[in-house]
Amino acid sequence: MSILQTVEATGERSGSEFRRGVASCAPVLLGTIPYALVLGAQATQKGLSVVELSLMTGLNFAGGSEFAAIQLWTSPPHIVLIVAITFLVNSRHLLMGAALAPFLRHLPRRKVFPALFFMCDESWALGLADARQRAGAGLMPAFSPRYYMGAALAMYLTWVSFTTVGALLGPMLGDVGTYGFDMAFPAVFLVLMRGMWKGMAPALPWLVSLVVAALVYLLVPGAWYVAAGAVSGLASAWLLWRQEP
Amino acid sequence: MIDAMTLLTIVLMAGVTYLSRIGGYVVLRNRVLSARATAVMEAAPGCVLISVIAPAFVSRNPADLAALAVTFVAATRFSMLPTVLIGVGAAGILRHLIG
Repeated sequence: MSILQTVEATGERSGSEFRRGVASCAPVLLGTIPYALVLGAQATQKGLSVVELSLMTGLNFAGGSEFAAIQLWTSPPHIVLIVAITFLVNSRHLLMGAALAPFLRHLPRRKVFPALFFMCDESWALGLADARQRAGAGLMPAFSPRYYMGAALAMYLTWVSFTTVGALLGPMLGDVGTYGFDMAFPAVFLVLMRGMWKGMAPALPWLVSLVVAALVYLLVPGAWYVAAGAVSGLASAWLLWRQEP
Repeated sequence: MIDAMTLLTIVLMAGVTYLSRIGGYVVLRNRVLSARATAVMEAAPGCVLISVIAPAFVSRNPADLAALAVTFVAATRFSMLPTVLIGVGAAGILRHLIG
């Protein structure tokens, strides 16, 4: 990647870049709200207080791992299991950060480290797609930090506030499963996956992950199905890889 | 209000999550990955996401399976918000009718 930084136009348009990030995130935010409410409501049913749940979503800020943690939550919690599953569910961040790294080379670490705290599936996908688009249009630097932070902070505030609202409303809602809100979770994930779709061959590892995770879920107690599915999918991606002619 | 064990679990969760967020950047910042490693990397987020929702695909409740099928089809056609609304609506209605 070229180190040429021809245009430094981002300075004067910083406010509009931030707003552009917030705006592009808006449809995702609306999809996130039901999912946040469900998590908050489920957490209170597992015995977490509102403050504890807000601390979890505010400090951890990774929805998938929080759903997994709440599903596995007991009183007292099984710390090792929950922390291990949290790391496994979030291990995709390692790859996401690696994919983003080439676009962050022009930024100082003191900016990158705080910015990465807010990296979630959505802000990552939006920031990376935007950087690729800008690179294609010849804009340098391709990555727009303010666009990314607009999307990321909008996500963060929405996530923390609506999980808290869910926890406050939880005791009134009763079992959220009866209303169908829990289907928001597969819906959000399936739409995210469609965004990553690049054809049948690159998606084969996903099918391996699905089959293995489903089998392990049926046969092995606990949440090991996430790890088993993810690891087998990655192994098959490695094994199925063919050099392009 | 805040249980000590719960707080410890949450802080450790937050710690490993932040490590996962900076790890890829710190380790791979100045390296070029092989095409094969890149292919694995690109498959990874989908592998994790589908694994997390895999239990929904083997639900014993026919209403849940039907709702998932509706959600799946919606996800191939619509953006996030309509898909979530269709999925939640389908699950609510089908569970009421069948479940």
